[in-house]
Amino acid sequence: MSRVLCVAGILLRTAARGLQGSLATSVVAILTITVALVLVGAFGLLVGNMQGLLDRFGEQVQITVFLETDLSPKAQEQLRVRVEAIEGVESAALVSRELALERFRQSAGGAALVEGLEENPLPASIEIALTRDHREPAEISSVANSVAVLPGVEELSHGQEWVEAYSRAASLVRTAALTIGGVLGLAALLIVANTIRLALYAREDELEILALVGASRSFIRIPFLLEGTAQGALGGAAAVGLLYAGFSLFLPQVQYGLALFIGNASPRFFAVLEAGGLIAAGAGLGMLGSALALVGRRA
Amino acid sequence: MSLFRGRAHGATGESPVRTYHVSKSYIAGTYALHDVTLEVGKGEFVFLTGPSGAGKTTLLKLLFAAQKPSEGQILVLGRNIARLRESAIPPLRRRIGVVFQDFKLLNRRTVEENVCMALDVVGTPRREARARVFALLKQVGLQNRRFHHPMSLSGGEQQRLAIARALVNEPALLLADEPTGNLDPDLTLEIMDLIAGAATRGTTVIVATHDMSLVERYGKRVVHLEGGRIQSEGSEGRWR
Repeated sequence: MSRVLCVAGILLRTAARGLQGSLATSVVAILTITVALVLVGAFGLLVGNMQGLLDRFGEQVQITVFLETDLSPKAQEQLRVRVEAIEGVESAALVSRELALERFRQSAGGAALVEGLEENPLPASIEIALTRDHREPAEISSVANSVAVLPGVEELSHGQEWVEAYSRAASLVRTAALTIGGVLGLAALLIVANTIRLALYAREDELEILALVGASRSFIRIPFLLEGTAQGALGGAAAVGLLYAGFSLFLPQVQYGLALFIGNASPRFFAVLEAGGLIAAGAGLGMLGSALALVGRRA
Repeated sequence: MSLFRGRAHGATGESPVRTYHVSKSYIAGTYALHDVTLEVGKGEFVFLTGPSGAGKTTLLKLLFAAQKPSEGQILVLGRNIARLRESAIPPLRRRIGVVFQDFKLLNRRTVEENVCMALDVVGTPRREARARVFALLKQVGLQNRRFHHPMSLSGGEQQRLAIARALVNEPALLLADEPTGNLDPDLTLEIMDLIAGAATRGTTVIVATHDMSLVERYGKRVVHLEGGRIQSEGSEGRWR
């Protein structure tokens, strides 16, 4: 056990000395990983926020059930309870004729139109909010069909076109995230591997001497893998820092323009776990890059 | 006729170095080393002599398993180099010290760290390693330079450092390729005395050199190569 600890200590010291000893190439490797991860991270932020935005839009996906005009308030309430029991319905809210008129009056230009009306022309309705897993076009149709056959229902409105557009956008963002994220990740890996390979050439003499004094393949490789991992983690941490600085500095300047698209919803930065994930991805990238750089080398 | 021409020079059944009809060819039809059969006994000191291109360096490279022979068999410290797996090379090299004309030192590391590298690969604890390195640096007269970098040392000091690194693991075999090639005469003797000292402590030593004055001065066994073949063997100026 003590020998294992001793060897582990030697390997860690060798890795630390390697980082110190070739500071310039280490800095280049760390910067390369930082730049690569800033790109991946910025894209991740964009996708994460778009997905959040789509989720918020998704919450607005609802079915409006217009009720027959002669339905008594008691029958309306009974109908609401029956609607709420249908699978996929998260909540069902009754909008009385009076409330509908009040809402119309408060809407832009509504007050002028309502003025002079002798009686309320608006029907009572039930507004159905759907559960998260019932927001796709097929599921919405299924809920709508179940509601349509209930007695007292006059008409349904569920904005089919809007729902389909939402669904297409969500799917597009998911596909783009996977494709572009994959390409960026691969590009980052190749760049990092290449940078570490160059750093390795600069230390060819050290590898030669180590082999000469009888260092095993693992003894030569492990410090390089550790160095790559440390460089990757440092690059990941720097990327998180840069992204946060960018997010904090530039967001206020574009917030007004963004509000046109996303309303009052404010973009969010990575959660602690996600930021940790980016640093871990950097460490993994550095280690894999070192492993790739060492491929094909004889001990 | 004996298979091993050097057997008369103190070689035993457990000789650390034995080559049997060894040839090495880099280009088909031409030999850097041709049909070399040799035996070097435990604690023996042998000079490999010959002009440039005679095959001295090639023979040393084969002995520390940097290359494999094209033909023949080589036994070094009981291991057959021709059949050695790559994973078996490092453990063998830990028992062989190698010294080169160009020192092969790491200028990024201190004198102490350069020697420590050889102890690190065998997993020597840090405290023990530092004590052993200090003792050895004292032996080669570099104890006050242990925190310096090789670039700040003279040629002779750099070669003494290289010898310290080669000896720190108390190798059974020490190979030196033109170890004094870059040094002036005074330093040459200083370095050769250090190498010869290792032989007196039981290490088998093979030194490749083209400096015949050195060979005559030390009067040890000489294996003379020319054109990749052993041309003659002898000792203390007596040739056969």
